[in-house]
Amino acid sequence: MYRTAAKRLLSVATLRNSSNGRLRCPYAETLIGGVSRFSTSTNPQSFYNQSHNEDQIPFPPVDNPNDADSTTSSSTSSSASSTAEGAGARRYQRQRPRIVLGWTQEAMISGSRDIGVSPAIVGTFPRKEAALVEFFMDDCLQRLIDRIDSGEDLRSLMPSQRISKLVRIRLEMQTPYISKWPQALSIQAQPPNIPTSFKQRAMLLDEIWHAVGDEASDMDWYVKRTVLGGIYSITEIYMLTDISPDFRDTWAFLDDRVKDAFDLKKTIQEAKYLAETVGAGMGSSLRGFVNRVFNR
Amino acid sequence: MALRLASRKLRSDISPIRSSASLLHSHATSFGYREVREEEKTRMVSNVFSNVASNYDLMNDVMSGGLHRLWKDRLVSKLNPFPGMKHLDVAGGTGDVAFRILETITSIRRRVRQSTFDDYLQDETRIYVCDINPNMLNVGKNRAVERGLGEEKSLTWVEGDAEALSFEDLSMDGYTIAFGIRNVTHIEKVLAEAYRVLKRGGRFLCLELSHVEVPVFKDLYDYYSFSVIPALGELVAGDRESYQYLVESIRRFPSQEKFASMIADAGFQKVEYENLVGGVVAIHSGLKI
Repeated sequence: MYRTAAKRLLSVATLRNSSNGRLRCPYAETLIGGVSRFSTSTNPQSFYNQSHNEDQIPFPPVDNPNDADSTTSSSTSSSASSTAEGAGARRYQRQRPRIVLGWTQEAMISGSRDIGVSPAIVGTFPRKEAALVEFFMDDCLQRLIDRIDSGEDLRSLMPSQRISKLVRIRLEMQTPYISKWPQALSIQAQPPNIPTSFKQRAMLLDEIWHAVGDEASDMDWYVKRTVLGGIYSITEIYMLTDISPDFRDTWAFLDDRVKDAFDLKKTIQEAKYLAETVGAGMGSSLRGFVNRVFNR
Repeated sequence: MALRLASRKLRSDISPIRSSASLLHSHATSFGYREVREEEKTRMVSNVFSNVASNYDLMNDVMSGGLHRLWKDRLVSKLNPFPGMKHLDVAGGTGDVAFRILETITSIRRRVRQSTFDDYLQDETRIYVCDINPNMLNVGKNRAVERGLGEEKSLTWVEGDAEALSFEDLSMDGYTIAFGIRNVTHIEKVLAEAYRVLKRGGRFLCLELSHVEVPVFKDLYDYYSFSVIPALGELVAGDRESYQYLVESIRRFPSQEKFASMIADAGFQKVEYENLVGGVVAIHSGLKI
C-alpha cells in the first residue's frame, strides 16, 4: 500500500517539476500536459482495488482525464475547479499555469496533493528529493529495458550504432527536464546519495552492454563499462548546454565519442599485434645471437 | 561496581511489587509501579501534572541536561512540516513541539517565497495543541505570549482527552505526542483516535521515554532515574512523589518493539522507530494510508 502510494506520488511529482521553457522533445508536451495519461500507466486501478480490499476509502480513480482534472485543480487552486468538462491534455495545460518546481520537496508536496494524499507523506522519504530523482532514474531504466525488449530495429544495427542509439534513447527521456537536470545531478552527487546514484548508473551501463550482446567476463568487462560510463556522462553534461534544435549537436557529439572508443579499441588491438610481432622478431634474433655465442 | 550493586539491589526491591501487581484485578491499571483503578489513574496523573506545571520546563532541562530540546527538534525534523499543514499536537500543553513546527513552517515559507506556497497556504496552517490539563495549557499560552505568538491565528489551544478527541475524522496531516502517551490510561484508544483524525497520507509521531538495553549504560541510567531524579525533583520543584511517578511510569511503558506493534495494530503502515541516546527516548512513527 505504502509503496504504491509513494510510487504514484513520485511519478506525479516528476511531472510537476518539468520545465515549461524549451520544449523540444515531441513527447514532452504530452508528458507535461497529460498527468492523467501518465498516471494511468502506473496503474491506479490496482491501487484502487487494493484500498477497497482493506476497507479504506479509495483514492479518486484517475483513469479518466476529466476526473484527474477536477481532483488536481480542486486540490491545487480553489478558483479553477469549474472546468472539468471536456478537458483534453492541451486544454488542461492552458487552464493551469505550469509551474517549474524542479527536483524539490515542493514538487513532491504538490504531487501528493494531486493524488489526494496528505503532503505529510513526504516526511516518510528518508532522503526527500533524492527519492524523486532515484525514482525517475529507475523509471527511465525500466522504460529503456521495455524499449530494448520491443525494439526489432535495434538488432539490425552494428554494435557501435546500437550503443549510441541506446544512449540516445535514454538521454532523450531527460529532455523534458533538461532545464532542471543540473539540479538532479547535484542531488545525485551529494554524499549520502552517491551510493545509489552510482549503482543506478552501473545498472544502466550494464543494461546497455547487455543489449549490445556483450558477454565478456574478464578484465574487458570493467574496461567496457568504464568507457561507456565516460561516454554517457560526458554526453549528459554536453546536453545541458546544448541549444541546437532537437539536441542535434549532442547526438553528433555522442556518435563521435562512440566512434572514438571503437577506434581506440582497434588501435589497442593493433598495438598489441605490433608488439607481438616485434616481440617475436626480437625473440628470434636474440635466440640467434645467444646460439651464436654458445655454439662457439 | 558499587553502582551496579546499588541498582541491582534497587531492582530486587522493586520486583516483589511487580509480581504482586499481576495478581490484581484486571480492571486495574498502572500508576507508576502502583496498581490503581482505571478511573483513579486519570485523576492521579492530572494531579501530578497540576503539581509540576509551573516547574515543568525547568525540570525538563535539569533532568535531561537540555537534551529534550534536541529530541524535540529531531521529532519535528522527522515530521517534515509544510505550509498549509493541519497538525495536532496532543499532550503538548507547554507548546514546545507546536512552536517548533510553527518556526519550521515560517522558515520554509521565507525560503520558497516565490513558488507555489502562496500566502493562502500559510493562512491555512493550523496547529492544534491539545492537552487534558488546563494548568499545562496555561503554561503554553503564556509562553506563546512571551514569544510574540499571542495573536498567531495558526495556533489553537484545546483542552481535550487524547482518548476521545473532539476533532473530525480525516482532518489532520500530522499527529504528534511527545512525552504524553505514557500517562494515558488506554494506549490503544489513543492510537485509534490518532488513526481516526488523520488524513490519508498523514503521519503519527510519538516521542517517548523508552527502554535502555545497552548493558552498562542501562545500570547507570537506572541509578540516575531512581536515585537522582526523585532527589532532583525534591530539590528543584519540591515534589518528590511526582518525579518518582515519572521514572516508574517510564519502566511500565511497553518496550520499543511492543509499542511499534501496537501502532501497527491500530492500522498504521510503515511503522518505524528510532532510539535516541541508546533508547532513553524513542521516536515512533506510523503512516496512515
